[in-house]
Amino acid sequence: MPQLIRVRPTKIELVKLKRRLALAQRVQKIVKDRLSILTMEFLQTARETVEAKRKLVDAFSEAYKALSIATGYHGYIALEKELIASETDLRITAGSRNIAGVRIPSFELGEIRSPMRGYSLVDTSSWLDHAAQLSEKCLKTTIELAELQRSLELLGMEINRTKRITNALEYMIIPALQVTIKYLNMKFEERDREEKARLKRVKVLLARE
Amino acid sequence: MLNDLPYERILQESLKGELRVVNAGLPQNRKSLSDLLGEEYPHVICSDGDTHLFKRKELEYIASLINIDEQAALLLPMLIELGANKVEAAIICQTNIEEKVISKILNMPTKPEQGKITIYKPQLALLRKMLKTTTQYVFTQKIL
Repeated sequence: MPQLIRVRPTKIELVKLKRRLALAQRVQKIVKDRLSILTMEFLQTARETVEAKRKLVDAFSEAYKALSIATGYHGYIALEKELIASETDLRITAGSRNIAGVRIPSFELGEIRSPMRGYSLVDTSSWLDHAAQLSEKCLKTTIELAELQRSLELLGMEINRTKRITNALEYMIIPALQVTIKYLNMKFEERDREEKARLKRVKVLLARE
Repeated sequence: MLNDLPYERILQESLKGELRVVNAGLPQNRKSLSDLLGEEYPHVICSDGDTHLFKRKELEYIASLINIDEQAALLLPMLIELGANKVEAAIICQTNIEEKVISKILNMPTKPEQGKITIYKPQLALLRKMLKTTTQYVFTQKIL
């Protein structure tokens, strides 16, 4: 049962309450739209996250296999010697985008400009090239997953918050306003009836005199 | 205990704030696709002063769908209008290039009516999957 809002029973208060009710109903429509959009985006992101996780697991397993073969072919010491010199700077562009009021991070891995990976092509085999290629794929998938995972968290939190607002509007605020408006209307009608009865009584008294 | 009137005022303010947030991601100025492709970090400034970053991959994908003249005329991000509790969404198109892009992505013919292409939620999901950063939602209902 919605609670009555404590207001003075005046016409001005009634007008104010009606305005508040109209605003609350308009807000409710928009918040509901927003909730449906956020849910749609959340489901889409969840699907993509599952796909990206699967891709990541596959990519890492392939990369480890390739690295194991390369290690077996060259030996630990020789491979470590080659890989020490192979560090390259990566360029990740980080920004944000907005989905219905939620700021979502956006990451993009820049193109690796140098085709050379830093190790000697003479002393290494194509096994290492293959392992390096697969590792780059892992990196791309990791960045993609990082973006999706964070988006999923942010969207989830926002959905929770929006749901609370929708529920508050639907089950508390709007019913309370409607009940109070109804109560004030009944009060004014009662006053009118009292006024009419009093006038009739006065008329009867005057007629008797 | 909170008095009813200040409580009501707080409530009204929070609701108004909620509505301001919804359209905060709208761009102050839209940029053409060719301009964005020429930028090192393709972006636009949002109405709340924040930066909206475009993914180069998406820009290149759209560029592959249209010719060079159309790239100069296509303004991004494309705006998707959402009405109150409506089932469908509308893509605002000032030129017929948006129509061409949308119909190619959705793989179906689209017809703009009064500068808007009407699409339904499943199509909207597909469109957003392909164009995450190059489309933006607009909540059009008049509020205050």
